[in-house]
Amino acid sequence: MTDAALIDAASPDAPAEPAAAVPVLALQKLDKRFGATHALKAVDLDFAPGEIHAIVGENGAGKSTLIKLLTGVHRRSGGELLWEGRPVPLGSPQEALALGINAVHQEVVLCRHLSVAANLFLGDETTRFGLLRHRAMVRAGQAVLDDLGFKLRADATLSDLTIGQQQLVATARAATRGTRFLIFDEPTGYLTRQEAAQLFTLIRRLKAEGVTVVYISHRLEEVFELADRVSILRDGALVSTQRVADTDEASLIRGMINRSVAQVHYKEAVAFGPEVLRVENLSGPGFSDVSMTVRAGEVVGLYGLIGAGRSEFVQTVFGRHARTGGRMVLDGVPVAIRNEADAIRRGIALVPESRRDQGLCLNLGVGLNVNLAIYDRLVRGALLDRGAERAAADRQIRDMQIKTASRDANASSLSGGNQQKIVVGKWLAHGAKLYIFDEPTVGVDVGTKAEIYRIFARLLQGGAAIILISSYLPEVYDLADTLHVFRRGRLVASHSGAKPDPEAVLTEAIGA
Amino acid sequence: MTVQTQDPLSTAAPPSPRAPRGARMGLVLSLTLFGLLLVLWIALSISTETFLTERNLSNLMRQGAMVAIIAVGQTFVIITAGIDLSVGAVVGVSSVAVSLMMVHGFGIAGAVALTVLMGVAIGAFHGFGIVQLGLPPFIMTLATLTALRGIGLLVTNGATISGLPGSFTDFSLSSFLGIPSLFWMVILVAVPAYVLLQHTRWGRYLYAIGSNAEAARLTGVDVKGMIYLAYMVSAGLAAVVGVLLAARIGIGNATQGEGWELQAIASSVIGGTSLFGAVGSVQGPLLGSFILTTINNGANLLAVNPFWQRIITGGLIIVIVYFDQLRRKRR
Repeated sequence: MTDAALIDAASPDAPAEPAAAVPVLALQKLDKRFGATHALKAVDLDFAPGEIHAIVGENGAGKSTLIKLLTGVHRRSGGELLWEGRPVPLGSPQEALALGINAVHQEVVLCRHLSVAANLFLGDETTRFGLLRHRAMVRAGQAVLDDLGFKLRADATLSDLTIGQQQLVATARAATRGTRFLIFDEPTGYLTRQEAAQLFTLIRRLKAEGVTVVYISHRLEEVFELADRVSILRDGALVSTQRVADTDEASLIRGMINRSVAQVHYKEAVAFGPEVLRVENLSGPGFSDVSMTVRAGEVVGLYGLIGAGRSEFVQTVFGRHARTGGRMVLDGVPVAIRNEADAIRRGIALVPESRRDQGLCLNLGVGLNVNLAIYDRLVRGALLDRGAERAAADRQIRDMQIKTASRDANASSLSGGNQQKIVVGKWLAHGAKLYIFDEPTVGVDVGTKAEIYRIFARLLQGGAAIILISSYLPEVYDLADTLHVFRRGRLVASHSGAKPDPEAVLTEAIGA
Repeated sequence: MTVQTQDPLSTAAPPSPRAPRGARMGLVLSLTLFGLLLVLWIALSISTETFLTERNLSNLMRQGAMVAIIAVGQTFVIITAGIDLSVGAVVGVSSVAVSLMMVHGFGIAGAVALTVLMGVAIGAFHGFGIVQLGLPPFIMTLATLTALRGIGLLVTNGATISGLPGSFTDFSLSSFLGIPSLFWMVILVAVPAYVLLQHTRWGRYLYAIGSNAEAARLTGVDVKGMIYLAYMVSAGLAAVVGVLLAARIGIGNATQGEGWELQAIASSVIGGTSLFGAVGSVQGPLLGSFILTTINNGANLLAVNPFWQRIITGGLIIVIVYFDQLRRKRR
């Protein structure tokens, strides 16, 4: 780490060219096949010590495969890996850890029932005579967290934390184990702005200490904020590696998808129709006193930090939770929605926040998943019409362009973007007059994102209304006709027509 | 029924060289278990003189029939990622119920119908505990396992009820087209069970719930209703077996069917059912139960020490399920 400091000190205004140093890790013609699938095609890449190297690409471009090869989860099919110039087999996660390669994954993989400190030291506990020294570990854990600048308590139980805070614990765990090469896979998906800022501070500090950081994200502005260099993967092949200073967002997107940028942001005005939903002073678990209206042809955006009560609000509208107060009017008729099935019958559809936990039957076929909402139409008498079932599944797979081996392939075998298409496709097959999308583009690649936006437009033109929840401000800001801001379970601001600038909206969400 | 047209490839499927993999795997799995059963039969036919006799084969079918039927019901529950530990106790208490009613002058048809209805009611009670009270299925059915044995013993004061009408007990000895009536009962149960699981939307819902109950619920599936259904099928079939058992042994006794829940679970798992839910079939547990029965039957014929039989059965369950998992992982 002193080396990095020296270089910085010696040439303060000409930052060290990362590629000039001996690469800490070099990939030579790295190749990976899964049966007939060629997941990674002869990739040449090198990572310099103390470099922040962003990797971007659509879902299915090979990023996850690359992570798994570098962390020893999968073994490569061909090519060489050089660690500080020496070839290494890298055939097991243990070997990767021993070299100092670590990763923070998109989904938190920690023990939910243990304390933060216990998770930090899992597998490396402090003991005396074989017994755990709880207090010593909590003290040491707190020191680690404070040192990293994370505002967390080491004695808290992990399951009491938000997903974002859990992600920070996972990061702290990965950053404090002699790590020299740290991979972040979509780390900010569930982080609040403050948490993301804490994370970025940590990443810059790791860089200063000479740790190599590989940063994978769909949020290109983060790439420009953090990274030194950026590599683009497309269809398993390396498209380019450039210094971030030499490129811009539009050219990155072009490299990723080979489609013009204009298609990516898609929104056209639709004349508003009659009011579809009106809620008056609605209260429920996690939110209270919310009023709003939603009209046909309108996108109503709900913005706020994670935990602001937006998901709880829409789930109450959808009948998942019982309301504790207020009124709901659907198509001009006051309604009391008893449960999800009741909501669906009345024409409401919900694409939930977590497609893995709430949206999909992962170990069942794609066909069953896309048909699940419409099985009552695929019957002849009491029996299932299996021909109609197959036809409906194939139609939806074709319409949504879901990339799957077959309708019988398990949903778990698909990439994140294609999984999201299943969840959305399920509701398009069913039809509704009010579609609620809760974080529909988290962890979804640029191409699928654009397709989802096009679906929005199609739904609006068909006379449906949309409620869109997103923690990604540019998305709701651009797409919403009416934007509501939630903070701590309350609706604190509403904007229709001309919106204030994004900074002002953010301020409303955070609270001054 | 024109349901099974078996033409999955010719419909406009998305381009794929191995479209019906799920279906084919199921077929291969059943074939392989069927192969194992055949190998056992051939080996026993060669090594013993008594195996391949009409008497022994009828006996085997009668023995296997009971566990086969509860294994099918158990599979419905396991597909929803649940478990029904009470089926053995339901068998016992049902044998008592049907016997008591007949001894007290009920007609055979009435006694049987009421007993099966009682079984369905027990299943509904399980559904109530799991859905409304939020108890884990393991705990709920463990509790009724204990309580139902107690009720059976209380009602009979621990005694055995005998003196059942001959026309009732004759059923277990009767045959139709040369096949024991008890085995026909398996077919009578398996065919509707297969249709329910594979050819109705409720079957699809059971799988969906076992895979991800929250996703099913958010898609409008009546999760509560389907869970009631699964446990009512399981306990209802266990009551049917209680009736059959009473006919076979000619008595009603609350302690009958001891440990059958474990045999049913073992049969189901040998037949490829996953205890994590969403994986299972009707033919699997049938094959599984007849494999277990054949192993026991063969061990008897070979005069293997009964204590050793238990050890061998346990070991074989581990081996069979291990190889099955291995095969499925490799695809």
